[in-house]
Amino acid sequence: MAVPTNPTDAELNAYILFRFGMLGIDISVLPFQDSTAQVDQVSVLSSCRSTLRQSLQLLDYELDVQTHIATYYASPQWAWTQMGEEGRISLAKRKQALGY
Amino acid sequence: MSTDDRTDHPDTPEPNPDYQPQDVGIDRRSFLVRLGAAGAAGAAVAALPPIAGRTAHAAPNSGTPFADVVRPEARTDPTECTISEAATLIKSGKLKPSTLIGAYLERIAKWDPQYYQAYNTVLYDEASQRALKLDRTKYIGPLHGVGIGLKDNFYTEGILTTANSYIFADFVPDYDCTALTRLENAGAVLLGKCQMGPLAGGRPTTPDGTVTTRNPWAPNDPSVTPSGSSGGSGAATAGRLATCTLGTQTGGSITGPGGSNGLTALKPTHGRLSVYGIIPLTITRDHIGPLARTAMDAAIVAQVVGGPDLNDPRTIGLPPMPDLVEAATPVVKKGRVVPRWPTRVGVIPGYTTGTNATALARVAMLNTLANIGFEVVDITLPDEFSLLTGGAFNVSSSERAEIDFKYLKQDVRLFGGRLTGWLPSIVQGGPEVAKGLRARLLLIDRCMSQMFNQCDVVMQTGSTFDGIGLPLCTYLIGFAPNAAGISLPITSVLGGPPFSEERMLSVIAAYQAVTTWHNRRPADPLVSSAKSRIAPTRITCRDVDRECRAAMEGSEIV
Repeated sequence: MAVPTNPTDAELNAYILFRFGMLGIDISVLPFQDSTAQVDQVSVLSSCRSTLRQSLQLLDYELDVQTHIATYYASPQWAWTQMGEEGRISLAKRKQALGY
Repeated sequence: MSTDDRTDHPDTPEPNPDYQPQDVGIDRRSFLVRLGAAGAAGAAVAALPPIAGRTAHAAPNSGTPFADVVRPEARTDPTECTISEAATLIKSGKLKPSTLIGAYLERIAKWDPQYYQAYNTVLYDEASQRALKLDRTKYIGPLHGVGIGLKDNFYTEGILTTANSYIFADFVPDYDCTALTRLENAGAVLLGKCQMGPLAGGRPTTPDGTVTTRNPWAPNDPSVTPSGSSGGSGAATAGRLATCTLGTQTGGSITGPGGSNGLTALKPTHGRLSVYGIIPLTITRDHIGPLARTAMDAAIVAQVVGGPDLNDPRTIGLPPMPDLVEAATPVVKKGRVVPRWPTRVGVIPGYTTGTNATALARVAMLNTLANIGFEVVDITLPDEFSLLTGGAFNVSSSERAEIDFKYLKQDVRLFGGRLTGWLPSIVQGGPEVAKGLRARLLLIDRCMSQMFNQCDVVMQTGSTFDGIGLPLCTYLIGFAPNAAGISLPITSVLGGPPFSEERMLSVIAAYQAVTTWHNRRPADPLVSSAKSRIAPTRITCRDVDRECRAAMEGSEIV
């Protein structure tokens, strides 16, 4: 089966609605298109399409798998590890750079 | 003129030359000692943390939360008091907690329902009773009898906690969040629950999108936003409806309202303040912090609330709470305010570009910092900073969808206009989330090695630090008229490396010691104004879409 490299809005909408349906999320309870409403089906689909298209940019980005591990808590992790003398961006290096 | 040389300041004791703030002062040995002590800290869960974390780094000129001088306007109107001024008057017996709380409740009753709409719930009876009790109680601490407000997503035992949403419309927690426990242990009086953007997103509205909270600098014009999502907290502090409030931030929700309402609003380093008992928006980006009037007030509240909490593992094993009150105490030498620590203030490209009021206020503020003795330096941004802080790399909405999945299945209408902050992540794949989480480490590495090797603190223009949990603090630097001629605050946002709250607050405190912007008070609403009868506005698809686009550009307000 050929996979579209630049999917159309209609193709993405089909994917999105299939995913919603599979998970039990029903957006048909929203107005289809109503700019006076807080949210409608068209705006939901538009947001989802944007996210999907941005995802390609994210996935294409290359990271070093040896050094860049997943980080849930970047700042606490910096304290848990990088403030130590073995840290990659050690405090000593930073102090040296700043002249302390 | 809002700045002065203040050569009349009495000199303060010399700061301890051997003490360095935590952003450069932590060494491995002391860190490991702290880790060993982390278990012991558990015994003090929900207890009042020490005001000063003075151990090996004890400084000779410890700060005090009490004001050297209480302004005349604060003596005549208690609602004008900062925390520092209220603490000074209450401790000396010149102001009773019941008088202070009564003044707030009177002001809230007079103005809040029709104009500010800063509160979702006002605790008239509970606050009055607690204040009367505190009148008769031995002095507890710096918040003794001080009136505070909490955003309506902070758990409050027996009190409705709605997150201003359909989902939590009837939710009454059976325990208090850690923040409230610690605030009350320090003597604070909870005045009420502050209005907020529904489910901690966007400007405060009713769950169905009707605009509620107004900006106290334009109380007769609902079109002027107090920003969100902690807009009620910001309006309550700026409108003198509380001495200080707390809000939450996942993407700009403390610094946004801090800016719009002209406040000193601190979004601390992730983990510095426990988020136990907060209705979560995400697990990895949620913060709480004070929306205060001064650096000292922000320091007092952060000091009281911060520190390890075994109920929130994110707070464990981190550098201990430093003495923020001391850090926020200006240092005076030979009658002049000087930096507490030599500090390089980084200025990002384009920060002062242009000739509009904001650019001019920024230039004036940087000149003031330079005159105090701070080294103001132009810096370059880390490689790919815009890309790494942009929407594509923000995968936190996956966390929202995971947390609230059962509500999404139940009825998407429960999310009102905030639905588009939840649903898109449902269609994202796992690899994207994994990549986003790995990119966080790259971003903080680059911030540390390519930004904070050039400076100690940095001027920011948005909430780009939220994803990696770096601290931010707003402060007022001027005013400019909007298109309708209403004078509105101009604020600056200072950022720093992890656990640099001390240094950030020391910079802002020095600035506030030689300026008077932070003392300005918004005028009360005009009762006879025709504008006060403007029909409420409503947030629609177009507004939400605009916010979502901003979020994708990394300037999310949630």
